[in-house]
Amino acid sequence: MPRKSHPKQEIEDALRYAESHGWRVDVGGSHAWGKIYCPYNDKECRCGEFCIASIWSTPKNAGNHAKQIKRVVDNCSTRKKPDNEE
Amino acid sequence: MQEYEFTLKFNFPDPSHTPESYLDNLALAGCDDALIGIGQQGRIALNFNREAESALSALYSAIEQIKSVIPDAQLIEATPDFVGLSDIAEVVGYSRQNIRKLMLNNQASFPPPIHEGSSALWHLATVLDWLKEGKGYAIDDSLRDLAKATMQLNLAKESFKLDPVINAKFNAVLS
Repeated sequence: MPRKSHPKQEIEDALRYAESHGWRVDVGGSHAWGKIYCPYNDKECRCGEFCIASIWSTPKNAGNHAKQIKRVVDNCSTRKKPDNEE
Repeated sequence: MQEYEFTLKFNFPDPSHTPESYLDNLALAGCDDALIGIGQQGRIALNFNREAESALSALYSAIEQIKSVIPDAQLIEATPDFVGLSDIAEVVGYSRQNIRKLMLNNQASFPPPIHEGSSALWHLATVLDWLKEGKGYAIDDSLRDLAKATMQLNLAKESFKLDPVINAKFNAVLS
């Protein structure tokens, strides 16, 4: 069965973006609509605290919340790029 | 009103605290403009997009709200403040090579790092000031305000570790 959709379209789009990058979306909670889980939740992961992020059902601003979700997913996938720090 | 994007990381002195248990109260306290990371035991991180009159009041109100829910939470770091070359490049939207070149070509005036080692670290505020005032780069004023405020916050947090006697001695010799 497909998971429940988020009531805000922009956030639902961001969740699908996360899923397309391998993140798992779990629904459940009260103020928190659900959670997203990084696919690389291990020692080398750079997401740190954001390896598991809580998604609000009614955030103050849905557009911003969607941006925040995408940012976490993008920051995570930077570990996939070669490290070019000297 | 201006929107500020920043992240605050906290830890709990009692690591058995599950960050998840605070979510509902954080929403009620007004942190529903943040994405909250709960992926590490004994820690919580909040990525805000907060509207406020100033960067200072955005940071202040966020900490006030978090402390009202988790009184013993200890601030680990406020970002954006400590940055390496890649972070600087990302923030201002140039390539890392570009920023590196800029640094090498302006060794006398480029802000000295606060740490130099296998990698170097700066306070973002000092680099943004230099880029804008020294080089005429277009730097968003609200970002500069934010970087100044997060620097003050991170310094304030560290100052709790100061030993008053030693600090007075060092102040006398440093100033």
